[in-house]
Amino acid sequence: MNESKGVRDAFDAIADPTRRRLIRLLAEEEEVPLHELTAQFDMGRTAVSKHLTILKEAGLVVDRKVGRETRFRLNAVPLREVQDWVAFYSKFWRTNMFRLEQLLEEEEE
Amino acid sequence: MSLVLSVDHEYKTTIEKAWTYLTDPSKLAKWVLENDFKAVEGHRFQFRAEPNEYWDGVINGEVLLVDEPNKLSYTWAVGEEKHTVTWTLHDLGNGKVNLHLEQTGFSNVHGLEGARYGWGNWTSQLEKLLAQ
Repeated sequence: MNESKGVRDAFDAIADPTRRRLIRLLAEEEEVPLHELTAQFDMGRTAVSKHLTILKEAGLVVDRKVGRETRFRLNAVPLREVQDWVAFYSKFWRTNMFRLEQLLEEEEE
Repeated sequence: MSLVLSVDHEYKTTIEKAWTYLTDPSKLAKWVLENDFKAVEGHRFQFRAEPNEYWDGVINGEVLLVDEPNKLSYTWAVGEEKHTVTWTLHDLGNGKVNLHLEQTGFSNVHGLEGARYGWGNWTSQLEKLLAQ
């Protein structure tokens, strides 16, 4: 199994507010070095690293070494998959609820 | 974890009439799916969609809560994925009724698929992200 993907459930990964904030920060830029991410939080570098590791295990974050620093970027693909199932039911109910509106109007006539 | 799909729709009708469309099997069939629903707590029923090669088309449900004409809740199970669907009706006056749907219990059974998050700003952030 690919170590950077599918090891951890994306739901678990984004359940934590720190990790959601990390995703937002990463979404704003192409690639962010660890020290810049750490500077955004009250917690230490190790704690931020741990959160990034969890995101990495869920396939949401990709890292690479550039010289002595590690840079992180977002991989939004698993989030899109999360959205698919929502989108399905959202569309299902919106369509049905619109149909109900038509039924109620017909009944009025 | 709390994952919630939430949809609202406003109707020109009475709360009583809206309630019949949520609970009467023949009326329900006209806008959701064929079913053997009864608004009785504990009643087990099925919604039946068109079967396909991956799915027998059956949604299994059990009525959890009947509070006529305000609230109705039942389970919605497809395979191993078991959700809860809750309808809340609000009489807005002037012949208008708001129908509020909440679907909860999305899990990771289908890999990473899931529900819209009831996490405030996060939802719009996620949508922005996905729009990129």
